[in-house]
Amino acid sequence: MKEFTISTPARYVMNTVLVLMFLFIGNHITQSGILLRSQYALLIQIGFFIILAVSLNLVTGYLGQLPLGHAGFMAVGAYAGALFWRAHLLPPTLSIIVGLIVAGVVAAIFGVLIGVPALRLRGDYLAIITLGFGEIIRVMLTNLDSITYGARGLLNIPRYSSFLIVYACVVITCTVIHMLMKSRHGRAILSIRENEIAAESCGIKTTYYKVLAFAVSAFFAGVAGALFAGNQGLLVPSDFDFMTSINILMIVVLGGLGSMFGSVVAAAVLTFLPFMLQPLADYRMIIYSLMLIIVMIFKPSGLLGSYEFSLSRIIEKVVNKALSLRGGAAKGGR
Amino acid sequence: MGRRDTKTPFVPERDAYKAPVMECVNLGIDFGGLTAVNDFCITIGPTEICGLIGPNGAGKTTIFNLLTKVYQPTRGSVYLNGVDTKNLNSEKANRAGLARTFQNIRLFKNMTVMENVLVGLHNKTEYGLGEAILRMPAYWRAEKIARARTLELLEIFDMQGIHGHKAGSLPYGSQRRLEIVRALATGPTVLLLDEPAAGMNPAETEELMENILKINKVFKIAIVLIEHDMKLVMGICEGIGVLNYGKLIAKGTPAEIQKNPLVIEAYLGKAEGEGDA
Ligand SMILES: Nc1ncnc2c1ncn2[C@@H]1O[C@H](COP(=O)(O)OP(=O)(O)OP(=O)(O)O)[C@@H](O)[C@H]1O
Ligand SMILES: [Mg+2]
Repeated sequence: MKEFTISTPARYVMNTVLVLMFLFIGNHITQSGILLRSQYALLIQIGFFIILAVSLNLVTGYLGQLPLGHAGFMAVGAYAGALFWRAHLLPPTLSIIVGLIVAGVVAAIFGVLIGVPALRLRGDYLAIITLGFGEIIRVMLTNLDSITYGARGLLNIPRYSSFLIVYACVVITCTVIHMLMKSRHGRAILSIRENEIAAESCGIKTTYYKVLAFAVSAFFAGVAGALFAGNQGLLVPSDFDFMTSINILMIVVLGGLGSMFGSVVAAAVLTFLPFMLQPLADYRMIIYSLMLIIVMIFKPSGLLGSYEFSLSRIIEKVVNKALSLRGGAAKGGR
Repeated sequence: MGRRDTKTPFVPERDAYKAPVMECVNLGIDFGGLTAVNDFCITIGPTEICGLIGPNGAGKTTIFNLLTKVYQPTRGSVYLNGVDTKNLNSEKANRAGLARTFQNIRLFKNMTVMENVLVGLHNKTEYGLGEAILRMPAYWRAEKIARARTLELLEIFDMQGIHGHKAGSLPYGSQRRLEIVRALATGPTVLLLDEPAAGMNPAETEELMENILKINKVFKIAIVLIEHDMKLVMGICEGIGVLNYGKLIAKGTPAEIQKNPLVIEAYLGKAEGEGDA
């Protein structure tokens, strides 16, 4: 019997429609005022963390490197976006878009500056250098008083981060990284994780692809930072400490290194949990650590391993199953 | 005779008047105090099958690592199609026409068979970053060609049916074959095979020999192979170089090598007592 498959254009149309529906309905719900303030805040926060986790996963999961300064890129993007928005150079809608791009580009430039020296070397230099970078950025933001207002905080940032903006960015982040990974460039990135010497022997420009992955990752961290700024309305450097980097890393590891779907699910769960566990706030870190230990013992590859969710694949499976059942029944009836 | 020079193990008649595809001149490397390879000279004709043999630890793999720039040589030079490879790194050496397999298989284990070959085709699949992310026509066109080419290449070893399997899940012999396909995909002019028959049974080795001959004929490329299986080496190599303690101790046709007393000594030791290094 002929297998049922969904053609590529049909798959693209289906996914686009579903995504647009999600954005439309979500936007409608959040504007109708059904949600409590805290629920809305949670939803937005999940959005940031999805972007942060999915972008970090590009470097940790797909490229196989260990950066520890994701919050540093988030900080750079947050301040760049916030300062741009505060300047009110453009009409709001345009300003939102340009501000997000500025935030991403500035963070990506830092990504390249850090990445070029750190990624040329094999080994754990990246962890150490990015760790240092994250801390240096925070200290610099604290001390650049004339621009960032230091520890007093940068105030009066326009609150642009609506549900629609945040989740449109979520969708763009996931789509761009997905399209990147399912191309020759993405395969090159994966091959470096799998075996760097073999990748080189296949003519892959390993340094270029490492820096590229790192810069794209930093770009989206910067965008998430700007969204964070546009949600809070104020920024203080301590928002971007080492623990923030570790939290994002934990999301990626728990979700499954190299699984975008895992990052999305883990970002939602790990943001939702503390909200649920508010009465147990004092024990939060203990519960987190226990969870991490348990997952690492029983499923070292993370909750979802390297599983990728694909709606069309599921539909294909179900339809084929149904077809084969019907075929079987028809034969039996004869 | 019409031979271009006498350094070569043996250049087959069909290559005798053509410029060599690869030349090593006094190649050598030291690891700390250890001289792993010294004074290695060889010339490879454009469609020659050349064997490199020698006891364990003789420096055969090290020579491949020197050729492919995994290590930079301490002394001497390598010319590829007449161009000095001094300033190349591994990836550039590949783009200059050198492809290889590894003694300890280095596949992209968590990627599928097809993806492994597609990585090999990376530089032959031409579309930019933007074209990939925006899924422009160039992306679809190049991907389609690359996938068709992958299946074609896999067909050499009759592996097109398992293109969706994870490379790490393949049996050992198939992993070695896949490595050859991946190397071929990069479009080399010289293919370096490090112990391609290791771990294969006699029937598989027989098949591999035929396939190496086929690759040599169809792709019209030079093949240099390291191998301990004498049946394979003597069966398909036109020229053979014998390495011992990092030095080329003999070169010639299989028949010449089999009779060479130095080679017999290197493999079996001196008649009276142990040989000194
Ligand atoms: N990176 C390295 N550092 C130090 N010594 C090395 C290095 N690589 C190889 N050697 C040494 O160089 C010598 C030659 O090693 P090589 O792997 O080339 O041998 P081989 O001829 O391929 O042997 P086999 O048949 O066992 O594969 C050995 O003595 C080995 O220990
Ligand atoms: Mg070896």
